Order: sequence, then C-alpha cells, then structure tokens
Amino acid sequence: MRGLRRIQVGIAVAAVGLGVGVLLAVAGGQHNIHRGAYAALALGIGWGFTGTGLYAWRRWPASNIGPLMIAVGFAGLVKTLAFSNDSVIFTIGSLGEVLIYALLIHLLLSFPSGQLDSRVDRILVFIAYVNTIAVQFAAFVFTDPTAQGCSQCPANPLLIDHADGAAGVIGAAQLDIAVAVLGAVVAILYRRWRDSIPSQRRAFAPVLAVGSLTFLLLMSSLIVEQAGLPAGIDDGLTLALFGSLACLPFAFMVGLVRSRFSQAEAVSSLVARLGGGGGRGALRDALAEALGDPSVELAYWVPSQDAYVDADGQPMRVDPAPKGKIATAIEHEGRRVAAIVHDAGLAEEGDLVHAVGAAAALTLENERLDAELRAHVEQLRASRARIVTAGYAERRRLERDLHDGAQQRLMALGINLRMARNQVESDAQQAAALIDASLEELKKATAELRELARGIHPAALDGGLAAALGGLAGRSPVPVDLVEAPHERLPAPVESAVYFVVAEALTNVARYARANTASVTVARNNDHVHVQISDDGIGGADPARGSGLRGLSDRVAALDGRLELTSADGDGTTVRARIPCG
Amino acid sequence: MGKTVLIVDDHPSFRASARRMLEADGYEVVGEAADGTSAIDATRELQPDLVLLDIRLPDVDGFQVAERLAANGAAPAIVLTSSRERSDFGAELDAGPAHGFIPKSELTAEAIALLIR
Repeated sequence: MRGLRRIQVGIAVAAVGLGVGVLLAVAGGQHNIHRGAYAALALGIGWGFTGTGLYAWRRWPASNIGPLMIAVGFAGLVKTLAFSNDSVIFTIGSLGEVLIYALLIHLLLSFPSGQLDSRVDRILVFIAYVNTIAVQFAAFVFTDPTAQGCSQCPANPLLIDHADGAAGVIGAAQLDIAVAVLGAVVAILYRRWRDSIPSQRRAFAPVLAVGSLTFLLLMSSLIVEQAGLPAGIDDGLTLALFGSLACLPFAFMVGLVRSRFSQAEAVSSLVARLGGGGGRGALRDALAEALGDPSVELAYWVPSQDAYVDADGQPMRVDPAPKGKIATAIEHEGRRVAAIVHDAGLAEEGDLVHAVGAAAALTLENERLDAELRAHVEQLRASRARIVTAGYAERRRLERDLHDGAQQRLMALGINLRMARNQVESDAQQAAALIDASLEELKKATAELRELARGIHPAALDGGLAAALGGLAGRSPVPVDLVEAPHERLPAPVESAVYFVVAEALTNVARYARANTASVTVARNNDHVHVQISDDGIGGADPARGSGLRGLSDRVAALDGRLELTSADGDGTTVRARIPCG
Repeated sequence: MGKTVLIVDDHPSFRASARRMLEADGYEVVGEAADGTSAIDATRELQPDLVLLDIRLPDVDGFQVAERLAANGAAPAIVLTSSRERSDFGAELDAGPAHGFIPKSELTAEAIALLIR
C-alpha cells in the first residue's frame, strides 16, 4: 500500500513537471494564435484528469478508472507539446496528439465498473487505439508541416517523403474511422444511461453528459476538418472541445461526490423509514428505495437449514444469484443475517449496499427470525403432508398385500374345503388330498399375515428393542454387528421409530451398498437415543432419491428428532438418527 | 363332454383351486390366463363356453375384459368373481354383458351352473 502511495505521489510530481514543460513549450511556440488559451486548457485537462484520477485510484484501488483518468491527463499534456518549436518535442506532441481520444473512449466505455464488459466495447477501444497510434504514425511520416502551410512549425524529423496524396488518404481514412467510432460510442453511452438504475443515473449523469458532449464536439470538429470549412469554425470547435475536455474530470468529481452524497442520504432516509415501522414488505421497499433498485429482494439466512428463505419461509436460491443480479450478504454482530439480492449494476456501489445493509441489519435480524419461523412452519406443513400421503400409501399397500396374499389363499382354502366336504363320503381319498392342500394354503396364509403384521408393528418389539434389533440383524443377508442396543424400555413410538430406521437402513445396505459388513449402534444418552447404522459399501447414496429415507426422516422429525445420511463415493454409508426420549 | 372353461385370475393358488373344483364337476378347463390382455387372446384362440373372470386384474379390470369379449361376437358365457363382496361394486355388476357375479367366498360349480343355465 505504501508502494502504491509512493507511485501516486510520483505521478502527481510528474504531472506537475510535465505541465510546467507544456507551459514553456507552448509559450515558446509561435505556430498557433490561440496558444495561451490552449496552454490554459491543456493544464486544465492534464492536471484535472490526473488529480481526479489519483483521487479515484485511492478510493477504488481495484478499479481501472483511476489509472485510465491519469493516462488521459498525461495524454492531454503530451498533446499540447505539438505547439512546441522544438522539432523533437513537436514530433512527440504530434504523434501523441490524438491518443487522448482513444484513452477517453476506453475510460468512458469502462465507466463505472472499470472493465470493458461487452465485446463491442473491446472492439471499439481496439480500433480507437490503432487509429490514434498506428494510423497517426503512418500519416505523420508522410506529413511535412511547413509544406502544409504552417510556416512557423518545426521540421518533421520522421518525414519519409512529403507525399501529400498518401498523407491525405491516410488522414481521411483516420477521420472516417474516428467519426464512426465516436458515433458508436455516443450511442452506447446514451443506451447505458437510459438503462441504468436511478441511483446510478444520478451519479453518472454528469460524466456521461459531458463525455458525450466532448465526443459530439470532436465528431463535429473532425467533420468540419474533413469538409474543409473555414479555419475560424474549426478553431472555435477545437476550443469548445478543449473546454469540454477540461470540464470532464470535474464531471467525474461531481459524479463521485454525488455518489458519496447519495450514499449518506440513502442511509439516513433508510434509518428514518425503518423507525416508522410498517408491515411485511416495508423493509424490502425501504431498501429498494435506498438503493434506487426497485427489483431488490431479501433472502433470510436459516442456520438450521443451512439455506436462505424468502419472507414467506420458502427456499430461495441466492448462490448463484439470478441472471443480472448480485447477492450481498449482510451480517449482524458477526453472524450472517440475510442477503440483499440486487441489480448487478450496483456491483460498483458495494460500499452503498453494505452501508444500507448495516443500517438495516437489526431490522433484518428481526425479519429473519420471522422468516425462520415461517420456514419451520413450512417444513412442518410439508412433513405433515408427506406423513399423510405416506400413511395413505401404506394403507393402500396393506390392502393390496392382504388382497393379493392371505385373502387369495383363504379363498382357495374355502373352495378346497367346500369340495372336500362334498367328497368326504363319496371319495375319502380325494377329500383327504383336498384337506392337505388346504392345510398347505393355510400355512402360507399364516406366514404372509405374520410378515404383514411385522410391517405394521413388529411383534419382536414386545420383547424390547435389543431383541427386535437382534432379530433384524439376524435376518439381514449382509453380516451385521449389533454393537450396542438399550436393554431398558424406551417410549413405544421411539422404539418403533428406531426399529424402522434400522430396518430400512439394513434393507438399503442389502439392496444397494454392495457391503461386506454393517454395524448397528443404538445408545441412550441422557434424554436422547442415538442410532447409527454404518456399512463398508460403495457409498454414494442420494437421500433425495427414493422415499424410504425421507419417510423415515419425517417419522423421526415427528418425534422432534433428526435423521442424517453421510455417503461419500467409495466410503460406505452411515445413517444417523437422534431422537428425544426423555 | 362338459362345457369348456377359461379361468382368468392373477393368483395361481386360486386358479388351481378353481380348476380342481370345476373339473370335479365335469367342466373341461381348456386354459388359464393371469391378466386381461392374455384372457382376450386366449378366448379368441380357445373359444371356451365359459369364462370365469376375476374383476381385479393387473392390467385391465374384469368389466373391461367382459366388454371386449362381448364386442368380439360369439361371446362365451362370462361369470365374474372377486374376493370382494357384491356391495363393493354396486350397479356396475349388472350393467355389463356378464351373466352374473359370484364372490370367491361362495364360489361353487353349482352356483356357476345356476347362472349360465
């Protein structure tokens, strides 16, 4: 930082030195009748741009705006060296005479971000640099100032040949290119001003207005020069152009001051509005007004969900922000509170957004608590809806299982027994065969009913959780190590939830994990029971896929518990549940 | 030679019991089908005199199968059956082309004979 400051001081000293040099060069020059006015304007342009550029550089060190303004200032001073009677200084001034316009185009198209955001911008700036450096050089080596009527001008040391035609053709092409580029730049600046949000428009208006005026005067001056109109008109336009150029750095200064003023004004009016209270949406409206961005949206941070929600508690995606938007996170006492989702055009007004956010942080925290509550209510509502839906689906499944299983077997059993009754006297052997078939059906029906009943309420739980989990581990096709299970009784809903969590997790291990072993730990710790089912399988389980785990999560949540899944690729899967049981 | 029968039901245990019952009573069971689509194909191919048709099938229900069999012309006698009771179905049982309905819990060869005589 100290190095940067030293560079900036060096630049300031160099600008003063070059300015004095310009004064001396112009004072000694005799080939322009307006040299006094030009000298004054040149210093205005050079020192004005350099000074405001240094200020902008210190305020926004990361932006290119400051360095570009300084470059414009130096180019303005160099340009004036063309009035010198010394042929070397005259040549430097003549070669750099129009570079200032390319730098100005670069500066204005970069404003306010400091970057050339579009491809068109970059192409225009490239053409401008080529036109003011390469084409200018090409024209100059064929230009003999004395032969062109400037009897007081010094000789051109770079002159290859005074080919009037060549210099004329190159000069005309240079003018045409300049007029076309300037026209395009003015159109872009107008569109940019039109599309900017009100707070930006207020700050940028002076810069864009004076910048556009400068370019319009330059275009007019070039057109007049091309048309060969009287020198008086040309001189008048050139003086007006220099005057406009000299005003431009101060237009930047006004823009900066307005920006700072509007920031303070925005914060104070926001604080006043927040003091007035208001219903839901009042804070958003106040922030929208303070930032001058009607599209502002607020996202509230809900730590328990590790996500943002809107004022209604609905999930809101902030990262990445929607197209054309930026989210600025707001903290209160070191904790994340909310994010202001605003127009991307406010990116350069980060200080303003943070200042406004800081002023509103306490109110944002209050609204965040409301939004968090709504998010929890919404989560409960969704969970309840899923439980109802799952209950309905479960009843459908039970009905289908009963219909397709035991009920069909009992129907067949009925037919067989009716036939056996009819045949018991006429064909005792056939009747016995029918009764045997019936007994077989009865056995199968009983087994199916037992299996079904286990899905509704595991009878094994009647003997306690440890026994029921032992049964689950024993039936699993993957070897299961039951590390720990509570031997005391827990509340029935908790035992049931633990049983089904373990059952579902072990079913998933058998189906998907390709595991060699699994382990189950169920431990009571004070007022909670902790459940953990781990396997050494392939991992990569997606909790969003399938309804089994989500249904379990709802079941656990209904008891104020929490279910978590950890399943990195290739690193096995662990399901953890924590359920209050006090 | 008794009447020929096609048994349509998606439960093998029920089909086996029904076959045993009908054959004991002199019916000739010419085929079995486990769903509605194969029932329609089997009826076209086997031309049975009687189709014992379960209402709840995995693809189309027994009412639709009966409609399609009747629409094909030269329809066999159709007896609907189900593990549910008559009251579970309402007027739909009487509206279709079937000869009648017998709950599986009451299914006997005599009950079928009464319906199709």
